[in-house]
Amino acid sequence: MIQDPWTDRLSEYVDGELPEWERHALESHLESCADCSLIVSDLRRVVRRARTLKNPPPSTDLWPGIAARIGAGTAKAPDVVDLSAQRRVRRRWAFSLPQLAAAGIALMTVSGGTVWFLSGSARQPVALAPVPSSPPENPAAVNVSMRPNASQSYAAAVADLERVLAEGRGKLDTTTVKIIEQNLVAIDRAIAEAQRALDADSGNLYLNTHLAETMRRKLDLLRQAAALVPVS
Amino acid sequence: MTELGLGVAILEHEPTGRTDPDAVDATLAASGDASAFERLYRTHVPKVYGLVRRMLSDDDVDEVAQDIFVRAWQKLGTFRGEAAFGTWLHRLAVNVILARRETLGTRRKRYVEGDMVLETVPSRRATPEMSMDFEAAMERLPEGAREVFVLHDVEGYRHEEIAEMLGLATGTSKSQLHRARMALRQHLER
Repeated sequence: MIQDPWTDRLSEYVDGELPEWERHALESHLESCADCSLIVSDLRRVVRRARTLKNPPPSTDLWPGIAARIGAGTAKAPDVVDLSAQRRVRRRWAFSLPQLAAAGIALMTVSGGTVWFLSGSARQPVALAPVPSSPPENPAAVNVSMRPNASQSYAAAVADLERVLAEGRGKLDTTTVKIIEQNLVAIDRAIAEAQRALDADSGNLYLNTHLAETMRRKLDLLRQAAALVPVS
Repeated sequence: MTELGLGVAILEHEPTGRTDPDAVDATLAASGDASAFERLYRTHVPKVYGLVRRMLSDDDVDEVAQDIFVRAWQKLGTFRGEAAFGTWLHRLAVNVILARRETLGTRRKRYVEGDMVLETVPSRRATPEMSMDFEAAMERLPEGAREVFVLHDVEGYRHEEIAEMLGLATGTSKSQLHRARMALRQHLER
């Protein structure tokens, strides 16, 4: 059986990869060749089928094994953010661990209070975004630009969320805005204090973890607040 | 820098650009935040797992999927954000899978021995009693054709990228794809 010389080119045709002159020639051929036309139709269906395949998650959760292998639950000391890169001015000012623990508790309380306030605000008909795993409800409004290092990326992400919030602050009631601002100030103060403490003890694992957690809390609060901004 | 009355000065950003919803978690994970990394895992594990399952189809799928995320954790410092995190992760996954195949010694001659095996993929129309679904038919493809088909038609890589990843000529990638499609067309639902 002699195979149609065009058969082997049909996938390239389907993918739009034939040179123009060949495409025209093939299209002329297809007008008179039912076999090739059927194959083209089938190939297109195969492509569509491939692109709609489902991706069910694994039947067993792989995370526990991954967590064990990466040491999740214990800080990765070698990969903790290099805070030395963030320091502009080196100061000899350290907080005691009890002081920082107290600050952390206070920060959690104040952030939690804000979330509670925002969650319970009947004046805002916008649902809260899930915390902490989900992106803002209006992700298209957030232009998160990664930067060559983690601290820059973090700053960019925070700035984008702040921009969304700033642009939408006129749509929120003044009490909500006031509370958000107060808590952002409190969190920024806590971050600054932790950074200053790390200036004196840069290798302190607790301080590094505490700082990372505080920075994460700021992002969470911003995500919550940005989600309150109605999408126009 | 702009002061917006929220107590924090913000950076100016380019007015356009694609949003990567994983960017924040990738940044946090790179700094050692395992919770952020778990969120990335939850988001991406279905697609990564699907890729592994389709590329390997052996008993090592769970282990290789774990390897991919462990490798991603180790390599997070190299993620620069030029592409979306998901894109970066999938390219890393492909590399881990291909390395695994090398380890298993399965990357031999599969691009030249494929034709004969392709003929053995049962046809739904010819033998209805042997019919199988599309995924099962994919598993029966010879490895070379299956790799190219999965990477091109399922994952969306271009032939040039596939050729680079697999060390093939672009023409070989195209011919393998066509052969895989021709075999699989027999298994379309009619």
